[in-house]
Amino acid sequence: MLKGLYTAYTGMLNEQHRMDVLTNNLANATTNGFKKEGTTSQAFDTVLAYKIKDLSEPGNLPRPLATNRAIDQDEVNNPLNEDYLERRVRKTGLNLGVKIGENYVDYSEGPIKETGNELDLALTDKGFFAIEYTNKRDETTTMYTRDGNFSMDRQGFLKTQDGDYVLDDANRRIRLDPALPVSINRNGEIVQDGTVAATINVVDFEDYNYLERFGENYFTAIEGATRIEKDDMETDTQIHAGYLEMANISVVTEMVNMIALQRQYESNQKVITTYDDTLEQAVNQNGKLG
Amino acid sequence: MVRSLWSGATGMNAQQTNVDTIANNLANVNSVGYKAQVAQFKSLLYQNLQSVTTTANGDPKPTTSQVGLGVRTASINQIFRQGSLLDADSDTAFAIEGEGFFALRGEDGDIFYTRNGDFTWALGVNNRLTLTNSDGLPVLDTNGRAIVVGAGMMASNLSITEDGQICYPDELNNPQPIGIQIGTFQFNNPSGLRRVGDTLFVVTDASGRALNETTTPDVDRSRIIQGYLEGSNVQVANEMVNLIVAQRAYEMNSKSITTSDSMLEVANNLKR
Repeated sequence: MLKGLYTAYTGMLNEQHRMDVLTNNLANATTNGFKKEGTTSQAFDTVLAYKIKDLSEPGNLPRPLATNRAIDQDEVNNPLNEDYLERRVRKTGLNLGVKIGENYVDYSEGPIKETGNELDLALTDKGFFAIEYTNKRDETTTMYTRDGNFSMDRQGFLKTQDGDYVLDDANRRIRLDPALPVSINRNGEIVQDGTVAATINVVDFEDYNYLERFGENYFTAIEGATRIEKDDMETDTQIHAGYLEMANISVVTEMVNMIALQRQYESNQKVITTYDDTLEQAVNQNGKLG
Repeated sequence: MVRSLWSGATGMNAQQTNVDTIANNLANVNSVGYKAQVAQFKSLLYQNLQSVTTTANGDPKPTTSQVGLGVRTASINQIFRQGSLLDADSDTAFAIEGEGFFALRGEDGDIFYTRNGDFTWALGVNNRLTLTNSDGLPVLDTNGRAIVVGAGMMASNLSITEDGQICYPDELNNPQPIGIQIGTFQFNNPSGLRRVGDTLFVVTDASGRALNETTTPDVDRSRIIQGYLEGSNVQVANEMVNLIVAQRAYEMNSKSITTSDSMLEVANNLKR
């Protein structure tokens, strides 16, 4: 019926999705190692709309709406040119709404908070801790996290708060002597009784686009991800014991975004109600006599 | 229906827990032997919003568009950092410097562990003095028995050495050990200890059994310091900053909820 009605509807839906992502950022305002997420909006694939049976144009070709530009002569001469339709769409097409274009993660560093707990680790610069995660079906995978809130169990294993094992530089579980005091230096070497008991692994990725969020502050590497081992990393990533990295969200940005998206939502609603008014006019008023 | 409403609600719940924890720390800022707690959070699971995503250049992205569903409380950790030693006038006030805990026997035989060394001599059977805490639970020695000194010993003359030996003056007024030593115990994983109130802890599977400092090799012995008490290790400035963060985070989440609510209202107004 009226294309704009559905266009405005996609606008409302899109703002709703953006609100979902934004709320999750705010809900995780105090989550360790949380990385802010954002969305970009993208126009729907453009759609060629034709005026049909318009004989006033040269060559009697259908002419796209939303343009007043005359059709190129060579296009008229070669109407079956394969590029023709596509080019037309790109240049002049209508698009019928908006959708989520991409969902990105801002991997910038969050503020570092002092905790005084020797097993709270924060990473400066790029990199992730590697965690051995076993799911309910006993499938073991490696997860990556910036949340260095670890603890030692009574057997001496270094674990996350959920009981997943922290891995060392040879991708083994880290087992320490629980009776001895622990100190962790900037290189991630865990020193007990004057000797290095294990080294905490820090890895990075070539392209963060190949990381998927798992929840539980974990990232998983999907197919195609290239892992950079600690020795090959260009950045000077250091481990700071006694500190935690907090979420990198900025409240001001989120609040401003929230205002903007709420108002955009309302404007889309106004578009819909305006269409509704127009339709009402068309249906109820036009045919009215006297 | 609307993810953001529930995500906002999980955020408010999490911050409520955060404030609860901070408030309990602040309430115990003067509790002897109290150990601060801190709440830690984790993000909840992620859903796919849209399976195909493209970058600004129109290139396909390898990952789908994901939206998270909020936050949960991952754990409430205990911080066993040493509290400051406070001067106490009592001769039976003890502070532990090190990792150890005192052991106490409860009325039904359970063993409790505590860093609160505010003890007192109580007159027990046969007029013999027993070392108890302020609630009357007997303090245990290195062999796990209640500390009962010989008949006729005067409380005011009893003294304690750094390793917990109880001494009584001999004829020349030189304190001599009487063969009873206050027990101190350590845990492989003190964070696993369960709190039962009264600054008492009990052993759990997570903490591992208590390691007697005198019989376990390799552990660093604690020192017992007479005339001092270990203050709470709550750091007020930190807690205040955490409280500000928690309160503001709570507000932010409530803003998410009210915004989601008004968006729903706008949606409802579509149909007139």
